[in-house]
Amino acid sequence: MAFKIASSPHVSTNLHTNTVMKRVALCLIPGLAVQSYYFGFGTLIQLVLAVSIAYCAEAAVMKLRHKNIKATLADNSALVTAALLAVAIPPLAPWWLIVIGTLFAIVIVKQLYGGLGNNVFNPAMAAYVLLLISFPVQMTSWVAPQTLALHQADVLSSLQSIFELNAPYLAEHFRLGIDGTTMATPLDTLKTDLSMGLTTTESMSKPIFSGMAAEGWFWVNMAYLAGGVIMLKLKVIRWHISGAIIASLFVCASFGFLISPDTFVSPIMHLFSGGTMLAAFFIATDPVTAATSPRGRLIFGAMIGVLIYVIRTFGGYPDAVAFAVLLANMCAPFIDYYIRPRSYGHRTGN
Amino acid sequence: MLTLLEQLDKGVLWQSPGGIHPPQFKTLSNQSAIARLPLAKRFVVPVPLVGEQATLTVSVGDTVLKGQVLTEGSGFTYLPVHAPTSGKIVAIEQHATNHPSSLPTLSCIIESDGQDTWCELTTSNLAQLSKAEILGKIKQAGIAGMGGAAFPSHVKLNPASEIDLVIINGIECEPYITSDDRLMRDHSDEIIAGVAIIHHLLSPQRIIIAIEDNKPEAAHAMKAAISRSSLPQDMVRVTVIPTKYPSGGEKQLIQIITGKEVPSGAIPAQLGIVVHNVGTAYAIQDAIYHGKPLIERVVTLTGEHIGHPGNYWIPIGTTVADTLQSVSFTTSIDQKVIVGGPMMGYALADLDVPILKGTNCLLVPSPNEIAPDVDEKACIRCGECAVACPALLLPQQLFWHSKAQEYDKAASFNLKDCIECGCCSYVCPSDIPLVEYYRVAKSALKTAAEEKRQAEQAKIRFEARLKRLEDEKNAREAKAKEAAAKRQANMKASDKDAVAAAMARIAAKKAQTESHVNSEEASSSVAPTAADPKKAAVNAAIERAKAKKAAQANTSSVPVATNNAEDDKKAMIAAAVARAKAKKAAQETNATSPQESEPTTVTAIDDKQARVAAAVAKAKAKKAAQETSTTSSQESEPTTVTAIDDKQARVALAVAKAKAKKAAQEASTTSPQESEPTTVTAIDDKQARVALAVAKAKAKKASQEASTTSPQESEPTTVTAIDDKQARVALTVAKAKAKKAALQHVTQQDDAGLASPIADTATLNELHILPTENKLAEQPADCSDQKPGADLSPEQIKKAKVAAAIAKAKAKKLAQNAEQEEQ
Repeated sequence: MAFKIASSPHVSTNLHTNTVMKRVALCLIPGLAVQSYYFGFGTLIQLVLAVSIAYCAEAAVMKLRHKNIKATLADNSALVTAALLAVAIPPLAPWWLIVIGTLFAIVIVKQLYGGLGNNVFNPAMAAYVLLLISFPVQMTSWVAPQTLALHQADVLSSLQSIFELNAPYLAEHFRLGIDGTTMATPLDTLKTDLSMGLTTTESMSKPIFSGMAAEGWFWVNMAYLAGGVIMLKLKVIRWHISGAIIASLFVCASFGFLISPDTFVSPIMHLFSGGTMLAAFFIATDPVTAATSPRGRLIFGAMIGVLIYVIRTFGGYPDAVAFAVLLANMCAPFIDYYIRPRSYGHRTGN
Repeated sequence: MLTLLEQLDKGVLWQSPGGIHPPQFKTLSNQSAIARLPLAKRFVVPVPLVGEQATLTVSVGDTVLKGQVLTEGSGFTYLPVHAPTSGKIVAIEQHATNHPSSLPTLSCIIESDGQDTWCELTTSNLAQLSKAEILGKIKQAGIAGMGGAAFPSHVKLNPASEIDLVIINGIECEPYITSDDRLMRDHSDEIIAGVAIIHHLLSPQRIIIAIEDNKPEAAHAMKAAISRSSLPQDMVRVTVIPTKYPSGGEKQLIQIITGKEVPSGAIPAQLGIVVHNVGTAYAIQDAIYHGKPLIERVVTLTGEHIGHPGNYWIPIGTTVADTLQSVSFTTSIDQKVIVGGPMMGYALADLDVPILKGTNCLLVPSPNEIAPDVDEKACIRCGECAVACPALLLPQQLFWHSKAQEYDKAASFNLKDCIECGCCSYVCPSDIPLVEYYRVAKSALKTAAEEKRQAEQAKIRFEARLKRLEDEKNAREAKAKEAAAKRQANMKASDKDAVAAAMARIAAKKAQTESHVNSEEASSSVAPTAADPKKAAVNAAIERAKAKKAAQANTSSVPVATNNAEDDKKAMIAAAVARAKAKKAAQETNATSPQESEPTTVTAIDDKQARVAAAVAKAKAKKAAQETSTTSSQESEPTTVTAIDDKQARVALAVAKAKAKKAAQEASTTSPQESEPTTVTAIDDKQARVALAVAKAKAKKASQEASTTSPQESEPTTVTAIDDKQARVALTVAKAKAKKAALQHVTQQDDAGLASPIADTATLNELHILPTENKLAEQPADCSDQKPGADLSPEQIKKAKVAAAIAKAKAKKLAQNAEQEEQ
């Protein structure tokens, strides 16, 4: 009888791409939960919207490319992209925002470059930047944290707000906060205050800040950190990128803070507000768009950390995660070309 | 800082990068002692070196005994092959071998007699043997590395450099395989005896027996065996290392034990390290102490589809099919039979292949034991492969470049340092068969390198050949030169004298000739270029001719025949000249006041040209004679004879003759207007015939014209004859003219109508042979414009013949017409 021939090795791990992606998505749950707790159900609605649009878009592209739709959808990469975009945009942002963003992320940023494994830019962050530049008002209007808002939007009102069903006033109602105070993100508030001549201490005495960090945002970041630690434990990601981002951001922030505590934001504030932890563990670690060698990944991560700090401190935008990640994505092939490990037997002076 | 030896003694271990921890499945086969299987009926013993390094010592039909050597050869890496059992050689043929390719190899097929009778074995005592004898015995026993690579052991035991450390490899890091494990447990004393032989041969400072911590029984057995042995206890130790695949790789093991890396492209011996497998140590002691060649080995038969998994002593040459039959294996759809472990082993397509010296395991797994067949998915650049790679490569980059067939770029990422351990494929979440890509890329690079090497060799060979040919040529030339110099040296002085004498005679004659020529007319400008004595003769002849002419013109007296010819040929020329002149003189009796313009340039190059010149002279003489009877004739006769060799002389002679005849005919004619520019650019001897023909033709024509009154002729004939064939053409042309002339005799008047068809035909033949074109030429100048010529290019020779034939035909026709008219 004929026996089957195959190239060695004949065994392999059970950790496949779809499993990896699924685990990434699952590790988002703690962060997602805390974010929903502080900022309402809007995030979950955005998530459902984003995921369904992402799958539809991917299926359509696969059909056009005459590829196996099922196999592609099964790799769960669209799920992760959609989830990351959903948690990144304001919870009560109008529905078309997430639709445009998801379509852009899946169709243009990912599939037009050849699909999974071939995209140059992180799809979620490219979409985020598109939305941020195109629709700055909607993208910077965060709802007030639950602890500060007088009325927490329930599921129904969130739906009404996102789909703009009832009246524009309702959306404005929640977006701006019931007390009429504009609820920009804490980083936005800080930046505005600093530009108005206030010191960080004065600015951080506002109710949106609680102690060392921002109200709500601190715990959201802590939850993403926890999810990241789980991923590290599961070996879904390696520590290099996340560690380098956190370390470099911390070093930069500490440096500025030590020089001038009044005009520079504290390192704790930098690490635990905005999208720092989300970026460090879930966004920058996207393997496709990151550097591949361990040393290259350290450089890649450090670059993102420095860019986050530089843009937050000196740039025009209050948060800088998306820009930093995209800029680093551009450098990844360059880093991979020049940063190569010393192979076995190539030790100099051996 | 501790020295390496101290660290070795303390059991300090280093970290090998990368690596994986696949499920072991070792307990499947290592639970029972090594057993034996019933002897097979048929053995396939490959003899791959036969024809290259070795010859067979047996032939078909021979009976062999167990352990009998089958091949004989020489060469550093040659290893003899032995019969695994007693029996008969039933065939020596190409048979599929135990290799991923299954390509056939020359093999001895032995049919067992069931007796398993040993040949005579010579046991020996280590103390009585020299190192060379020990190495010889190891070589004669055919011992090759038992770890899988099957490299001849005697080579590794006879290194060029000093060996400080010997590592006995009992790692066996591949899942499933337990042959070394069981061997260490069951035969630890024999292994240590083999280690002692290795120690005796290499005298290292330390011997480390490395065993993974998943084989505690083996480690214990080995430690116990060391304590029982006579080896110095402080220099042999068992080092247990953490289980990790691929720690058993030679380079990885060296790194773990010593922290050193074997430089890329180097061998461990360059670091003073040699690694031997435990199985090899066992085989060495068997060869030395028992005289037994390596004809059997421990093979792990394992996998869920093997009825009785375990380790077995299997004679080398037993087929995989026979082996598996005796352990009752089952198969399923898409069954794989893997030689080696699941990480690096290869699947067999055909089971009728022999167990070899490096075959440590046969794995017959069930479908749930091995990875299912899944489609390769897109690389997500997760970098897990780079983390797992024990060689610190970037497998994902190698993959990109290998897939794109950019093999040179893959090589720049150190593709050659890949040990094909399979860790990258194992961890790949996208199920990419990375190692397969690397194998393809490596073989492509190897092929390219081989082609380049061959091309370079061919270039070297070609250049060597060119140089050799050049050298030979130079040698020949040198030899020829030498010979010439010798000849010159040997030439007698008398010869030289003869040459000088001849030259002197010639000079004298020339002077004599010149004395005859005085008070001649100034119009004759002669520019003799006397390059050698013979040219002098030419000039002499020319001047003679002129002298005669002058004499005739003035006094009409017969000139005194000169007798100036210094050799035969010249004599003939002169005679001819004389004859011609005589005739001319006779005819010129009533000639008065001729006006002549005869610029004659003779560029004579060698002696034979003399004849040419003579002929020219004759011709002129005759012409002059003819002109005597003409009144107020205007002549233009530029005759340029660029004669190059002797045969041309004949041409000129012929021309002269022809003219002479013509002159004779014209004697009675009155007031002819002639324009006869004749340019004979004769290049070789055969052209002579051409000219001759032309001359004849003219002669005939002249005879025809004799009775005509006031004929106006225009006969410029340019013969650019290049070779003999053209001569014939010209002859034909001449004949044609002659015939035509005959016709003209009848018509009495110019008749362009008759001539034109001939011209047309010639034009049709693209030969431009317009032999005769009668026109009313009032002025010679006009005639020269309308000169028909016979321009014969050599490649049109055959066409010329055709044209000539046509011309002949027409001429005949015209002749007939003329006759009819007469009638």
